[in-house]
Amino acid sequence: MLLKLLSGFVLMGMAHVVSAVTPQDLLKPYEAQSGKANSARGEQFFNTKHGKEWSCASCHENPPNHDTKHIVTGKVIKPLAPSANPARFTDEVKAEKWFKRNCNDVLGRDCTTQEKADVLSWLMTIK
Amino acid sequence: MNPIKMKKTVLICASLLLISSPTFAEKMAMPADMPASYEAECASCHMAYPPALLSQQSWKNVMSGLSKHFATDASVDPKTQTELTNWLVKNATTRQKYSETAPENRITKTSWFIRKHDEVKSEVWKRASIKSPSNCGACHIDAAKGVFSEKNIKIPVK
Repeated sequence: MLLKLLSGFVLMGMAHVVSAVTPQDLLKPYEAQSGKANSARGEQFFNTKHGKEWSCASCHENPPNHDTKHIVTGKVIKPLAPSANPARFTDEVKAEKWFKRNCNDVLGRDCTTQEKADVLSWLMTIK
Repeated sequence: MNPIKMKKTVLICASLLLISSPTFAEKMAMPADMPASYEAECASCHMAYPPALLSQQSWKNVMSGLSKHFATDASVDPKTQTELTNWLVKNATTRQKYSETAPENRITKTSWFIRKHDEVKSEVWKRASIKSPSNCGACHIDAAKGVFSEKNIKIPVK
């Protein structure tokens, strides 16, 4: 019984290690489903409005390497660039959730995997 | 003290108590069992509002329309939605004063909110560090702790 419990904990620990990802790990499948990421295109996408009121930069600013404020509520948003905030893009579910929400806010639709790849690759270049 | 005078004194004391009771009401501490998802899903974009600021029905209304939440998409997965809704409803206001169903699901559109802030000029709301009536902490310096008393207000000049 004890052995069973112990091996359970070890397995859980391993699962946790496996699920921890890097921004690079997230970028790869996006690229695989679309094409090679283009960070210049990502930068332009990030800083441009797409037919609605806001751009990504409305809340995250350009470059998003410092604390910024939500354009409506004033709530402080932590930096988006992984160089300034190592927790960013290390959790696939979380990254996907925010792409869904924020792409709807900025574009009124889901982002394509190419758009996600481009933006993420640009964010990864920011110092 | 004659009986009539005594009656009067009791009455005065009782009214004083009644008058002072609103001060007590301005403390709305965050319940200790706040789920981590409240911080992650809701307080990423705005202050973690104490559940006692809205009625049960208002919270149900808010939580049933998250994909169009004040012009933004704040959708959460079904499990999180159930967890948050249950917790918000359980801790919703029990006080008559805050019990109205919030117009447009906005705390800031309730009649008690408007009455409490009627002396704040529109120019003040627009200041860069305030931006919106929903930004409680801009002036209520201890809002994050659920303290909204008049003593704990500091209105920024810019």
